[in-house]
Amino acid sequence: MFGYYLDLAWRSLKRTPILTGLMVLAIGLGIGASMTMLTVLHVMTDDPLPGRSAQLYTPHLDPLPLDHKRRGDGPDASDNLTWPDAMALLKAHRATRQAAMAGGSLLVRPGRTDLRPFYVDGRYATADFFAMFGMSFEHGSGWGAADDAAGARVVVLGETLARKLFGGADAVGRTVRLGDSDFRVTGVVADWAPQPMFYADASVKRYSDADQFFLPLSAAVDLKLDVNGNFSSWGQDHAETRMTSPTTTWLQFWAQLDTPMQVAAYRQYLADYSAQQKALGRFQRPPANAKLYGLMDWLAHENLVPNDVRLQLWLALGFLFVCMLNIVALLLAKFLRRSGEISVRRALGAGRRDIFVQLGIESALIGVAGGALGLLVAQLGLWSIRQRPDDYAHLAQMDGAMLLGTLVLAVLASVLAGLLPAWRACRVAPALQLKGV
Amino acid sequence: MRILFQIRPILAALRSHKTAVMLLMLEIALTMAVLGNLVFVVYGTVQRSRVPTGVDESRIGVIQSIGVIGTANSGTIENDLAVLQAVPDVVAATYGGPPLWFTQRDSVFLDPSHGHKLGRVYEFQGSQGLSRTLGARIVHGVDLDDNEIPAVTRYTPTMEIPVLMTKALGQHLFPDGRALGGVIYDSGNNPLRVVGIVDHLRGSITGSPDDDWSIVTEFMYGHQDGGGGFMIRVRDAAQLPEALRAAAAALQKANPGHVSNKTFTMAELRADYFKSDLASGRMLVAILLILLVVTALGVSGLASFWVQQRRRQIGMRRALGATRRDILRYFQAENFLIVSGGVLLGAVFAYALNLFLMRRFELAHLPAHYLLAGAVVLWLLGQLAVLGPALRASAVPPVVATRSV
Repeated sequence: MFGYYLDLAWRSLKRTPILTGLMVLAIGLGIGASMTMLTVLHVMTDDPLPGRSAQLYTPHLDPLPLDHKRRGDGPDASDNLTWPDAMALLKAHRATRQAAMAGGSLLVRPGRTDLRPFYVDGRYATADFFAMFGMSFEHGSGWGAADDAAGARVVVLGETLARKLFGGADAVGRTVRLGDSDFRVTGVVADWAPQPMFYADASVKRYSDADQFFLPLSAAVDLKLDVNGNFSSWGQDHAETRMTSPTTTWLQFWAQLDTPMQVAAYRQYLADYSAQQKALGRFQRPPANAKLYGLMDWLAHENLVPNDVRLQLWLALGFLFVCMLNIVALLLAKFLRRSGEISVRRALGAGRRDIFVQLGIESALIGVAGGALGLLVAQLGLWSIRQRPDDYAHLAQMDGAMLLGTLVLAVLASVLAGLLPAWRACRVAPALQLKGV
Repeated sequence: MRILFQIRPILAALRSHKTAVMLLMLEIALTMAVLGNLVFVVYGTVQRSRVPTGVDESRIGVIQSIGVIGTANSGTIENDLAVLQAVPDVVAATYGGPPLWFTQRDSVFLDPSHGHKLGRVYEFQGSQGLSRTLGARIVHGVDLDDNEIPAVTRYTPTMEIPVLMTKALGQHLFPDGRALGGVIYDSGNNPLRVVGIVDHLRGSITGSPDDDWSIVTEFMYGHQDGGGGFMIRVRDAAQLPEALRAAAAALQKANPGHVSNKTFTMAELRADYFKSDLASGRMLVAILLILLVVTALGVSGLASFWVQQRRRQIGMRRALGATRRDILRYFQAENFLIVSGGVLLGAVFAYALNLFLMRRFELAHLPAHYLLAGAVVLWLLGQLAVLGPALRASAVPPVVATRSV
């Protein structure tokens, strides 16, 4: 029966090519615009570290005084940790792996005379950083806990920077001048740029290039290196001392927790730690304010999707809705005009159900064609997004899931649009129509 | 007048296509709601991108500098400024940054104990010549004087510093109009005495009134080395690209250890600042145009169906004496009625959408004339869309009436 209905639908659509073209165009444009924006949303909220993200958690404490008010447009001071808290969490060692970190931008002064000094972005971190995030070393290795304790002047380079500075030669053991100090290279990692860069401070670009250097956080604090990101202070902190102050937050902290039991234990630990700090008089707010976010929860909390992308998504979906209304009206006209033909089929024994299915298949056929057109439109739309100057622009590519999603959404939309017309058409009273013929 | 007599039969005819007519009206209403709000959003962006910063934008160029690298290469800001000033066409040079470029923002207070916060202001800080190079217009008081600005070497955390203040900030801080000579405090402990009022100086352009809350401070630099931004202002805007190139080269030549990252004109900075917003605006306009096309196609498609369906009736009317013109007018009037219904509903939708956008995206209230303009656009679009089918209807010969179906 399906084949026969498909044949009927094809004949019917061929009979009115202009109208069919209009409907396919409408659904194609609507689906294309919607899928463009849905794809942008999809890549922006995608899992940055598949396979590993479920074990990664970021603890948050609330060391703010009771009367502290967040400035309307300012960052939330409790998004980051203070130095004493981060160090306490590190030393407690309650997770499988844990690391404190902050972003930095440093001037590289190449030894090669043909290269001018330039700035690169990198990260100040503690020893577990590499193993916890599963980074792969091309040469050498990271540094150890002893280097963290000593504030050793060691550095791990990103592949791109290593090649730029040392060409093809092995960089391990060489010296790099960053800012005003020399650092010994202990390893080179493959370029690693999770999108979004979930572990970075909220104020920096999250969809940017890979970090190109990693050096011990303790060395960065010793040398008072510049930090990319928010310093939020609520005490009388001066620029000289704010890095280690108990009233300035600026550090990000991530922990690897492998089992639900570990997660629960860590939550309890955070609450206990907060209660202890409160008893000591350092914290004022309730210990229940301490939170442990999973990676994806944290990204949702951070709300990385910019307003104009949301606005455009809403708009595209509204546009799809208008296109569907359009198709409903056109299908209604088309189906009701065939009342005569439908009545003949009914009189020959076809049930309402059969008519409904037949017209439904006709709508779905329009959806398939519209979906194919929608794919083209979406590719065009994504191309135009990639031309935009925003940091997420280069991510705007369709993957297999979205490709399939486009076709499914198109067929779904057209079948949905065909429901009302088909229902009306199958309720036509055959006797009345046949009398007129 | 004849058209008025036709309205009743048109309404009667529409009543038999209730569902299709309602759907079309709904489509037009939604289109109108999106049209009004989108044009409003995009127009706001375009307008914002044209707000001047208040500085002499067409004549300002910036050299972004890392500073002087290496102990063998010692440079001084005093020397750098002299080198820049010696470049042909340069009328002023300074060590400091332009608006829209990492301008620092700080809270200001009326009392030194920081009890009463008055708002956040943009702080333009730089060396001697900053105000001259920016070229902001002084409307009251005097410009900062090289002889009176504090030397950066003599800076103490409590010394009084002369500042320029924008008119808008003056009115906000001193509603009694006595901003000139007034004293404010930033988050440090230095009293800032207002010596001059500038017309406008916007640190950023977000559309908020506090964009124009700015102060300018200068320090006398001598033998210090510094990185950041150097700014030049030229006599003639046409000379700017050439002068900027020459200035960067002169800076490099005077001190080979000088590392300048890039140079850009204020016009390029502005274009870059609004690039993302305008790109997003273009995207919205593209979606809007497609939406209008789809709506027009829908109207046109349904109209041609109705024309085909009513061929026999049209033939009868022609046979009974209706002119081609009457038939044309009939379909045009029918379209006008449907679009009008859609527009009325659309006005309600547009306000609802506007309320939603106001809450979610901090959009302003939609002015009524946007709705009127939207209505006119949809009426025209409707008439355009129905013209083809209506002309085809008017071409139906009377003889159709005599044929059987």
